[in-house]
Amino acid sequence: MLDLALPSMLSPLYLLAQEEATGGFQLSTILNQALNGLGIVGILLLTGLGLSITFGVMRIINLAHGEFIMLGAYITFLMQDVFKMDLLLTIPFAFLGTAIIGAVVELTIIRRLYGRPLETLLATWGLSIVLQGVIKLIFTAQLKYVKSPAYLSGNVTFMSDPSGSPLVAISYYRLFIIGVALALLGVTMYLFYGTSWGRQIRAVTQNRSMAQCLGVNTKLVDMGTFAYGCGLAGVAGAVISALKTVAPPMGQDYLVDAWMVVVTGGVDKLIGILAGSFLIGESNAILAFILNDPTARVLVLGAVIILIRYRPEGLFTVQKRT
Amino acid sequence: MSKSRVSSSLSRRKFIQYGSLAAGTTVLAACAGGSSPDTSSEGGESSSDAGGEAIKVGVMYSTTGTIAIVEKSLQDATFLAIEQINTGTGPWEANGAGIAGKMIEKVVVNPDSNWDLYNQMSKRLITEDGVVCVLGCYTSASRKSVLPVFEEEDSILYYPVYYEGNECSSNVFYTGAAPNQQITDSIPYCYENFGPKGFFIGSDYIYPKESNRIGKAELEKAGGTVVGDEYAALGTTEFITIINKIKAASPDFVLSNLVGDSIPAFYRQFKDAGISAEDIPIMAYPTTEEEIQAMGPEYSAGHYTSFNYFQSVDTPENTAFVAQFKEMFGDDRVTNGVMEAAYLQTFFMAQAMKDILEAGDEINTETLREATRGQEFNAPQGRVKIDPDNYHTYLYSRIGKWQEDGQAEIVFATDAAVKPIPWSQTLYPGRKCVHPAPDDRSDPTQETGEDLVPEFL
Repeated sequence: MLDLALPSMLSPLYLLAQEEATGGFQLSTILNQALNGLGIVGILLLTGLGLSITFGVMRIINLAHGEFIMLGAYITFLMQDVFKMDLLLTIPFAFLGTAIIGAVVELTIIRRLYGRPLETLLATWGLSIVLQGVIKLIFTAQLKYVKSPAYLSGNVTFMSDPSGSPLVAISYYRLFIIGVALALLGVTMYLFYGTSWGRQIRAVTQNRSMAQCLGVNTKLVDMGTFAYGCGLAGVAGAVISALKTVAPPMGQDYLVDAWMVVVTGGVDKLIGILAGSFLIGESNAILAFILNDPTARVLVLGAVIILIRYRPEGLFTVQKRT
Repeated sequence: MSKSRVSSSLSRRKFIQYGSLAAGTTVLAACAGGSSPDTSSEGGESSSDAGGEAIKVGVMYSTTGTIAIVEKSLQDATFLAIEQINTGTGPWEANGAGIAGKMIEKVVVNPDSNWDLYNQMSKRLITEDGVVCVLGCYTSASRKSVLPVFEEEDSILYYPVYYEGNECSSNVFYTGAAPNQQITDSIPYCYENFGPKGFFIGSDYIYPKESNRIGKAELEKAGGTVVGDEYAALGTTEFITIINKIKAASPDFVLSNLVGDSIPAFYRQFKDAGISAEDIPIMAYPTTEEEIQAMGPEYSAGHYTSFNYFQSVDTPENTAFVAQFKEMFGDDRVTNGVMEAAYLQTFFMAQAMKDILEAGDEINTETLREATRGQEFNAPQGRVKIDPDNYHTYLYSRIGKWQEDGQAEIVFATDAAVKPIPWSQTLYPGRKCVHPAPDDRSDPTQETGEDLVPEFL
């Protein structure tokens, strides 16, 4: 659609790419891959954000995180199917719907398991299987179709070859995903560090009984925080549904990635997730381009394991006095 | 008062804790192989209420897990065929209800997309449930997993899926396409219509790798070049890297053997990355009406699929099949080539059983094997036949170009069903498979050393 050709801005690079192309090595393809790696980063950030709340802030080992992403995608599908809504309009519904389900889950299951991570792990794993089963019963196992908005199709071209075909380009939809992810990160950081609700959440996670003594309704704070984390997962599901596949097991695909991102970035600071998703997304993209997809995945996963061995708290941690 | 309140809240807390743990562990147990054959719920309505005892047939498709998306539809098509046989409707109308008065009793199992479970469950179907044969499997990995069981127990599997070939068992009837019915027509088609440079992609397991190996050999034989060969783990939905590699290699066409939930994600991201079907068309084998419906036809329009059957095939049998399928499973459902194979193989089985019973024999592995050889049937795709020598099926070879409405315009079709050649002739020139009659289960491969010419029914 709108081709924003910017060869003048990048002319040194462009010339370099031209020279390199004759030698067999194409700088432009590497640049293109790095740029599109940002698309992967956006998806990682978006799918990991909810988990950085439920795990990073609340310390709940939530293995049903992927299923909340799946629920968000199905809410979007349902809204489009029944009300013929535009994808962007379904996002608030996906957020509210998954947040409500998250609140119910917190009220019935999670609340009873605080401080017992192993039981939480089992319970949320069971929950993920139940949620998949319920969705399969309601919507069947068939893949579902989510329509992407027409105004988000097309590419932004940064470099073209002389015949006009794009060399370095990224699609509007990938940019849109990055935008949504960064906006949500911003909103979340504001909520946590700039509002009284955020102060209450941090107070509860740091010292529950003291917060209680000071009149903070910790149960309400817990429920609200968990629901917010689930709602973010729902938004992720809604946004990626148009680019990926909507099916009951889809959440499993994002669960591992989301965990890697949160663990790598560190759980103490929300900004860690940005670093985590950037590192994992870009290294995945570059390695996969040089080698191949399955190998890149193995290498990145191995690197994360080694990182956790030496920095179990992740890259961004608050120095604590012992 | 307050004490009782505390104790009740404690017990409720305990109940929910243990309840949720129990739920988790039960499902775990089911995943690990504890689930039992589901005869009561699904097989119950069609079981032996008519005269004579029922014929037990195993139906083994995953209705949970990653492959469930496809296998559920195969199960649906199989159920439709069994329903028609038991009630004497559809293609079975002339034969009356049941098989010579006997009903088919289906024993349904769900292997949960787990290759090991296919092995365990097929063993149980044969030894404990005493089925005479099994209809099932989708992926080559699951077929390879159950093959030793069927050969050891000497039972029969009807396998409805296009596959990579290079196999010829006395215990399997292959009713999907062999390589020469899908690959050997589509590669020269790509070469002539799109150009010489092919980029091969697939999911990372046996079928796509073998199928691409044959495809690459075919392309090189035709004079083309392979400019890329990439695989993605099963279930991958992130294709930006592979798409960038395709862009960098600028091929004339992409040959895709991606399966399952990777398919919609790949086509969407392909178009989203700004590559149109005119620039680089995708020729695919596993992309069928079902996946097109899931991705949205606007993403597939202009791309191609090579298959034996499309919903748009114009035969009276197909019109009836599509109508009956929609009536049973809903108007929004589509039919595809794998489902059609699952449907037609059930009739092959029923016809063979009918011949055995009418000859006054008992249905067992030997009689069923001999009776199935050479069966013919007017399938939705046209008249098809089980090859009496190699147990594969004479099928039509077709290439469809996807339209804006999600249906295929057939741009290439053979005039009659093509004789199956199980071994890829590019990789194993002259290798043939001929089972002796009666089949003593000896090695059926024959090295003829000559070019096998395409034969038609």
